[in-house]
Amino acid sequence: MDPGSDSDLSLDEGNLTVRGRNKAARAKGIDPTKDKGKGKAKDQGYAWEANYTRSWDTVQEDEGGSLQGAVEELMARGRRRRLLAPAAAIRRTIIRHLILLLDLSASMMDRDMRPTRFDLTLEYAREFVTEWFDQNPLGQVGVVAMRGGIGERIGEMSGNPQDVLKALSERHKLEPTGEPSLQNAIDMARSSMSHLPTHSSREILIIFGSLTTVDPGNIFDTLQSCIKDKIRISLVALAAEMKICRELCDKTGGQFGVAMNEGHFKDLLFELIPPPAQRAVARTTGGGTTNPAADLMMMGFPMRLPDTSPPSLCVCHAEMRTAGFLCPRCMAKICDVPTDCDVCGLMIVSSPHLARSYHHLFPVKPYIAVMTLDNAPKPTSICHACSLPFKVQPAASVTDGMSPLGRYRCPTCSNDFCTDCDVFVHDVVHCCPGCEK
Amino acid sequence: MDKASHLSLILDISPSQWHLSASPSNAFPLSFKTFLSHVLTFLNSHIAAMHENSLAVFGALPGKSVMLYSSTDTAEGADVVAADPNAYRPFKLVDSLVMRNIQRELELLGDPEEEAPIALVGALTKALCYINRITHIPTGAATEDPAVLIDPRILILSVSPDLSSSYIPVMNSIFSAQKYKITIDVCKVFGADTVFLQQAAHLTGGSYIYLERRDALLQYLIMSFLPPPAMRQVIAVPKQDKVDFRAACFCHKDIVDIAFVCSVCLSIFCSPVPVCSTCRTKFPIKTLQRLNASRPSLPPSANGTPRPGARQNTPLATSLR
Ligand SMILES: [Zn+2]
Ligand SMILES: [Zn+2]
Ligand SMILES: [Zn+2]
Ligand SMILES: [Zn+2]
Ligand SMILES: [Zn+2]
Ligand SMILES: [Zn+2]
Repeated sequence: MDPGSDSDLSLDEGNLTVRGRNKAARAKGIDPTKDKGKGKAKDQGYAWEANYTRSWDTVQEDEGGSLQGAVEELMARGRRRRLLAPAAAIRRTIIRHLILLLDLSASMMDRDMRPTRFDLTLEYAREFVTEWFDQNPLGQVGVVAMRGGIGERIGEMSGNPQDVLKALSERHKLEPTGEPSLQNAIDMARSSMSHLPTHSSREILIIFGSLTTVDPGNIFDTLQSCIKDKIRISLVALAAEMKICRELCDKTGGQFGVAMNEGHFKDLLFELIPPPAQRAVARTTGGGTTNPAADLMMMGFPMRLPDTSPPSLCVCHAEMRTAGFLCPRCMAKICDVPTDCDVCGLMIVSSPHLARSYHHLFPVKPYIAVMTLDNAPKPTSICHACSLPFKVQPAASVTDGMSPLGRYRCPTCSNDFCTDCDVFVHDVVHCCPGCEK
Repeated sequence: MDKASHLSLILDISPSQWHLSASPSNAFPLSFKTFLSHVLTFLNSHIAAMHENSLAVFGALPGKSVMLYSSTDTAEGADVVAADPNAYRPFKLVDSLVMRNIQRELELLGDPEEEAPIALVGALTKALCYINRITHIPTGAATEDPAVLIDPRILILSVSPDLSSSYIPVMNSIFSAQKYKITIDVCKVFGADTVFLQQAAHLTGGSYIYLERRDALLQYLIMSFLPPPAMRQVIAVPKQDKVDFRAACFCHKDIVDIAFVCSVCLSIFCSPVPVCSTCRTKFPIKTLQRLNASRPSLPPSANGTPRPGARQNTPLATSLR
């Protein structure tokens, strides 16, 4: 062999081509291994390099300076998306519990993410919570803040998105100050999840903007107790990677990410929304209907006692309480649902927790845009739902999929609805006022 | 308090239930006629409380729901109502339009052999759509000051028992009300407690009141349901005493307190089933055997019956604190 030739020649043919391509790439100054993972984030550039854009900037005015056209286009897009959606959308759900741990230390006032890290975090946290509850109807979220060296409970564990959103919207109460303490905050989050039933997941999501943590003890002890309690910690760092942060996530099976810019930050957060079961199923596609995670669970629906009822001992804390829930099987008194009954072991949930996801199972059929009233014998003059009078004169030009008369007809009950009601019924109420289902 | 409030009232007009309610064998008989006179007085006080207050009245009839009155669409009915120098015009308008429309609907109803189920879901969703319409800022209109936006609520005056087949639509309506911060108040005028409406009031922060003294309906309405939700934080209005969190099973539409739930789609079944009828998931045989063995020996309580020892009577005086 010629010692002066390229070392590539000593390898077999398959490898040779690969190496050759690698070389070509390197010649252009791109590392193909790194390029794969970060390409998307790189395209958007770092936050401090990008321009400040917001969604309303992308809405275009028409020649007349009106937004009507843009709004109608958005609505038409929503209608088309609904028509294309599969008729029976079923989601894998398990019962999740999440504590959102927000860094409210002074470092959150940094302006590398606009307007500030703090404002952006609050905005994304609210969007995150709304989306999270839509996909995890049985879940509960609590909010803990770290500031001034301690963990501070901002919102109690709650299954009602409004409660959590309220806690996150009181900006003046969340003003960042002082140093963060990971250990104190994680300990507080851990203690508020101690009562939870065994079948449910326990998760902590940390949004961390600092590069330091002020802890009273050894944080590795806290990590050990989290592993013992099967608490999964995920962390989104806004500043840079820290060894302890990655270790917290890796050891507990969570996800770790460093946000490069606003868009990447949101992506990292929203990746944590789908229930883990969904991911497990996606990996084993082709397995048919037999899903190892699928099971039939026995559940009890409790009776809630009023705040004015005479005090009695609860079985979970052995304390005198007035309000509480009664286990339907053994009539034991429990402070919070969902939980496992401490006496008979029955899983107790309130039925609204389950019912929140049913609109995915039984969606309302899309309404048909009425193009002309010529072949209708006796058209109604008002919207069947809100009694708004319909337009008499059809609009001259309409976007594809929209009715020129502003009428949308239910294929089942043949009642006509106005544009607003069409959107409201399909996106919010999930129940046709004419068919009553 | 300076905010105007909107009230959507849903009247449960079930001829058979009202017939039972008026029968003299009751402790406090209440006829539909007396009921309406109480309700109209209540509606007048709502209008009188503030000039900007708006009002809509819906009727849930057997198999049909209608809008009986709305303060935004009075133009077509206004000319029918004769001017009366002795009556405040808005009062007169509400009273005569509501009465006329109820009369018309009852005549249309005729005399069927069997009464269709009450269209409560239809009335509830219409009330929600109407609230969505009036709170929705029309495109092109001047930007509305959020301070003048109304504080909406729905009051249901119910006489019919739970319709367990409408469990899912009722729950969907409750969640949308919750999302739009619409308070749902329920006054159970006659008959047993309804599980779903209890949950509706509880989840939306409204009050559920079981009418003990039917002859004192107006007293209950004025004391508990006239103050808008914003005021209720200041004055303690009576709330419901207990909330029953039972659900209806998907297979027989029975109301159950212990049920079997598919972990994939959360469908509810009253007995262990091998395959989920909603999402077609097969359950492991082992689970079925275990669940069958541990099944409660008591049969699930029958449709709509109250739980044993359910109601604890709270006199109005004490619950007002
Ligand atoms: Zn307790
Ligand atoms: Zn029990
Ligand atoms: Zn409409
Ligand atoms: Zn329909
Ligand atoms: Zn059943
Ligand atoms: Zn299922």
